[in-house]
Amino acid sequence: MRAREGLSSPPAALGDVILESIRMESSNSVTFETLLKRGELIESRSEMTPDYLRELKHTLIVSGDTELISAPAYYLAARKAPSVNAFMTGIAIIQDELAHAHIAYHILEELGESQEALIFKRDPKAFRYPYAFDVPLESWTELVVANAMYDQAGFCLLGDIHDQCSYGPWKRGLVKVMAEENFHLRNGRNWSKRISQAGGAAREELQRAVDWMFPLTVEWFGLPDDLKQHSAQLEYRLKGLTNDQLRQQWLSTVVPFMESIGIRVPAHRDGDAYVLDYPFPCTFDAPAKRWDFKDPCTWDSVMARWRARGPRNAEMVALFQESFSKFQVRA
Amino acid sequence: MTTALQTRVWAALAEINDPEMPVNLVDLGLIYGIEVVGGMVRLRLTFTAMGCPATDMIMGDIRDRLLAEPGVESVAIEIVWDPPWTSARLTPDGRGALLAWGLSV
Repeated sequence: MRAREGLSSPPAALGDVILESIRMESSNSVTFETLLKRGELIESRSEMTPDYLRELKHTLIVSGDTELISAPAYYLAARKAPSVNAFMTGIAIIQDELAHAHIAYHILEELGESQEALIFKRDPKAFRYPYAFDVPLESWTELVVANAMYDQAGFCLLGDIHDQCSYGPWKRGLVKVMAEENFHLRNGRNWSKRISQAGGAAREELQRAVDWMFPLTVEWFGLPDDLKQHSAQLEYRLKGLTNDQLRQQWLSTVVPFMESIGIRVPAHRDGDAYVLDYPFPCTFDAPAKRWDFKDPCTWDSVMARWRARGPRNAEMVALFQESFSKFQVRA
Repeated sequence: MTTALQTRVWAALAEINDPEMPVNLVDLGLIYGIEVVGGMVRLRLTFTAMGCPATDMIMGDIRDRLLAEPGVESVAIEIVWDPPWTSARLTPDGRGALLAWGLSV
């Protein structure tokens, strides 16, 4: 048998023999299905079916793109830091996010994709990160709310992948990522609390930021389960929890926290679950950063908004793409 | 002479983890000295680097924890850079924690 997750690996020589026998069987997708069902880890491309490889790559691209785009999104707001110390914390977070992006793109490269093409040669609209990042973060307050809410969303999503993912190299790569995301979350929470305690105009600015950013993070988790009939990601154990389960996990941390610092959020607890106090989905005016809770809409129109991308998409991608060709050394 | 309060202050500091790494402040070697005068704790603290992004968090954690300790009325933190922190300041437990986490120390 192979080493199961959580148990130590067999001695190297024995491991090689076992891996070799697995490779020999790998053309057989029945064996692959059996491995998956037994909860074992997939370690190399030769063990995968083409469908699994495609889903894994898609999931990694979303993860890498999300981490990468958070760097320019956070940087454009970190410039408004209220002190040198606060700026250094902001920059450290940005550096973490770039390192996390690198983990995902590095794995993609091992799976046959070109990092260079993915990062520097894709059209801005082809990036696959949550729409929320396309709405400009324009102040230190909005940055720390992003740390408290967007990084919490990342924490839920990556925590699930870290717990459940069937692809061994990614699962192991996430250990450090989780610790660092926790640091971002703390920055977000410490500062949100501090700004709320300051009261007055500072607190009003915080409330306004939460008002537009909260529903954007709620939609981050995607279609509700009753509209999503089939998930290849779940089937292949690339993740373990459904969209609604992850959304509930996020609500169960963010709602009590915001309430504890005296900030209103449009959701409340009802029994074991959290319930939204507005129609989901509804329309969003991105330039005005305003939701219209009186104007429910369809998921088709949300998807259309996501596909069209938001106000800052091109500017952020240009931040890391524009100098690439200029400084490229040609042999 | 070490007083009972001083002992409790050291124990309390050993409960505070670094915000970025799974190791406590005492095992990380950040505390250069403690002085207790009445209810006032004077603490000499360093960071692993001048560009440490977590200075505010670490000082906030120290104040919050020590002020929760019976008998502590105020906390004064003095930041010191001399001698500079190196990994030689890690205790054996601290070294073990960082190794287990995947850092080479």
